[in-house]
Amino acid sequence: MEENTLISEAKQYIVVKLDDEQYGIDISFVDNIVRVQPVTRVPKAQSFFEGVINLRGEIIPVMNLRLKFGLQPKENTNVTRIIIIKPENNAKIGILVDEVREVVTLEEEDVEKVVHDEHVVNLLGVGKYRDTLISLLNIQGIISEMDNA
Amino acid sequence: MDLSQYLEIFIDETTEHLQTLNEQVLVLEEEPDNIDTINEIFRAAHSLKGMAGTMGFKRMQRLTHDMENVFSEIRNNKMKVTPDLVDVVFKCLDAIEEYLTCIKETSDEGENDNDEIISVLNACLGAADEGGAVAPEQKEAEVKESEMVQETTESDAGADNDKKKYLSIEIADFEKNAITEAKAKDMNVYGVTVYIDDNCILKAARAFLVFKGLEEMGEIIKAVPSVQDIEDERFDLDFSLLIVSSKSLEEVKKVIANVSEIKEVLIEDYSIADDAKIVSSAPDSDKTETKNMDSKKEDSGKAATANKAGGKVGKPVANRSVRVDIDKLDVLMNLVSELIIAKNGLVSVSNQEDGKTSMQNFNEQIEYLERITTNLHESVMKVRMVPIESVVNRFPRMIRDLSKKLGKEMELFMTGEDTELDRTVIDEIGDPLMHMLRNSADHGLEPTIERLKLGKPKVGTIRLNAYQDGNNVTIEVEDDGAGIDVEKVKATAIKKGHITEEQAEQLSEKEAVELLFKPAFSTAEKISDVSGRGVGLDVVKSKIEGLGGDVEVTTKLGEGTKFIIRLPLTLAIIQALMVEVRNEKYAIPLNSIVTIEDVLVSDIKFVQQKEVINLRGTVIPIVRLDEMLDCPPREDEPENLVVVIIKKGDKQTGLVIDNLLGQQEIVIKPLGKYINIHRMISGATILGDGEVALIIDSNSFV
Repeated sequence: MEENTLISEAKQYIVVKLDDEQYGIDISFVDNIVRVQPVTRVPKAQSFFEGVINLRGEIIPVMNLRLKFGLQPKENTNVTRIIIIKPENNAKIGILVDEVREVVTLEEEDVEKVVHDEHVVNLLGVGKYRDTLISLLNIQGIISEMDNA
Repeated sequence: MDLSQYLEIFIDETTEHLQTLNEQVLVLEEEPDNIDTINEIFRAAHSLKGMAGTMGFKRMQRLTHDMENVFSEIRNNKMKVTPDLVDVVFKCLDAIEEYLTCIKETSDEGENDNDEIISVLNACLGAADEGGAVAPEQKEAEVKESEMVQETTESDAGADNDKKKYLSIEIADFEKNAITEAKAKDMNVYGVTVYIDDNCILKAARAFLVFKGLEEMGEIIKAVPSVQDIEDERFDLDFSLLIVSSKSLEEVKKVIANVSEIKEVLIEDYSIADDAKIVSSAPDSDKTETKNMDSKKEDSGKAATANKAGGKVGKPVANRSVRVDIDKLDVLMNLVSELIIAKNGLVSVSNQEDGKTSMQNFNEQIEYLERITTNLHESVMKVRMVPIESVVNRFPRMIRDLSKKLGKEMELFMTGEDTELDRTVIDEIGDPLMHMLRNSADHGLEPTIERLKLGKPKVGTIRLNAYQDGNNVTIEVEDDGAGIDVEKVKATAIKKGHITEEQAEQLSEKEAVELLFKPAFSTAEKISDVSGRGVGLDVVKSKIEGLGGDVEVTTKLGEGTKFIIRLPLTLAIIQALMVEVRNEKYAIPLNSIVTIEDVLVSDIKFVQQKEVINLRGTVIPIVRLDEMLDCPPREDEPENLVVVIIKKGDKQTGLVIDNLLGQQEIVIKPLGKYINIHRMISGATILGDGEVALIIDSNSFV
């Protein structure tokens, strides 16, 4: 049901890149996009967390999407960005990505849902845009998994 | 009218009045004749009634009204304070508190009528009736509706007799008794109907004056409409009453006529044989019941529609307000204006052309600014400070109840109620403290018989002492009971599998007592509903540690137990020592630091494969912070290590760090959701250059 409503209409996604793959993040969750800044490591946190940053006086944990998806870590470049996501009203989380490309609008028929099993909670579906494929991230899935990580 | 904006004030004030009531009734129990106390209670009950009435909480109003009646009787020396009565009053207070909780959660008082308590209250009044002659007004209030109907139809007739409305007053059995009794005592019983001038604006006030005058003349047995309704101006232009008095008819009449804007007073000797309808109590109560049900339906119906209209069904009222002394606010205001001046100073400095003097002025302004911000911080903190009194003042009542429930005699002595703590701490500390007191009352103190056998004073003593100790506030809960039987604790711990027997033998007394803080640990053989369910000290401990404090126990078998809680004065801003581990910066709260030592690596000894140092005769374990924090290893171990010695209670630990950076005032910030935080990190702070530094929770290392 919920997935149906989530992609039942045209939605805007921010397209980010990890290596050669493109991922889409529902724009309604996105609070901000910031350049890479000094990250303070948090000992004993989940391995895919870079640490915490100071965003205008607020301390925000930053997750490295590469590590989260089991990719090799990569040096930050000048196109590396942190996308600040606000999944809930009073909580924010930063997601470190290789590059932010563009904002796309996907109609419902452009999105192919994926079958959810325990391995693919991170994806909501795959969107077709022009002649490329965009994996749409399931924000709730990505953060909810953290409780037991 | 939308009253929701007043709800918060209502809740605040009701809480305050309830607290006064609880305190005063406790005093009353000790000194049943203390007239000041009785007056105080009466006033509080009266205010509660008024407030509940204004806010439209009918049930609460009814209950407080009856309570007020009782105390009005006591005040007029018509009734004596008995232990039973005190119990009922306490039940009453609990019921009111229930209403209040309900109101807090749903903005509505709920459906509980508390008829039981009301009837007991009225029974108390009724009992007093036998001596004096007092009518429980509650009944009247309930029957008044039917009377009103009668009154209106009858007054239509306009005949002289019909104007004597007191003739149509319905009287119940006990009222009849009161009248007969009064007559037997050669007192006069008069029926009175008072008509108020049509142009009168303050009807209720006039009526009040009439009642006040009459109360001096004698006893008002009954009034129609009820006194309550009259006070609330719910009557037309007339009201009737029956009064027992030793004074003559003329005197009584004069008193009433003396009140201005009274149009007409009809007064006559009253006898029951007259037309008056004597209602036996049985059908009366039947009637009342149905009526009650009706009005209840009506009430809930009204409430429902009102709620719908407001669109706020079950909306909880968050009570996050702090009462602030106006002086504190004035200080804040002053500081803020100074801040503005300082800012202007900076602006003017930056406009100066001469580089040299401007640099000097600039530094001056910075110093000025620093002074203001420090003061500002202090004042804001002060605004957040609340005396611990607001938490502990409900404990005497609790101990009294516990004493009755457990059948043990005990007394609570409190000191340092004015010790101030941060609001957030105050909010959290109530439950743990309550737990510890219950613990002391239930487990700590021996039953009275046993105490006598041991030659201890019959009444057990529990002490709650609070005081400020440097940057901490210490709260001690102490009892003079049996103390903790360490062997019993060990045995239980073995039985529950927390430790093995060998471990038990090696435990020092102190460590054994610490076992009490393990989850699901209770040495009480008997489970009571007071304590002993095994949820307890572990929760207390975790809660207090969550607040950045710690708990310690000292006990002496046969002499008592003392729990010592230490809490930080404030949570948001602390003094910290900034240290460096490799290239990362960490903050260690200053209040936990004892000293900083330079230690030669060759001085490190090993005890049970753990590194320790011998510091002026004390053996202190040391912890390599870099290893704990997963920092990359150092390439070459230096000859000297910087060790920060921290303490928790009287235990000490040394933390090995790389570099000292200095002392700094830091603002504690949460690390945010989603990221797993190890317990050795208590938060984070933002440094002057915008960098984030983690705060070490030194408690977790000791």
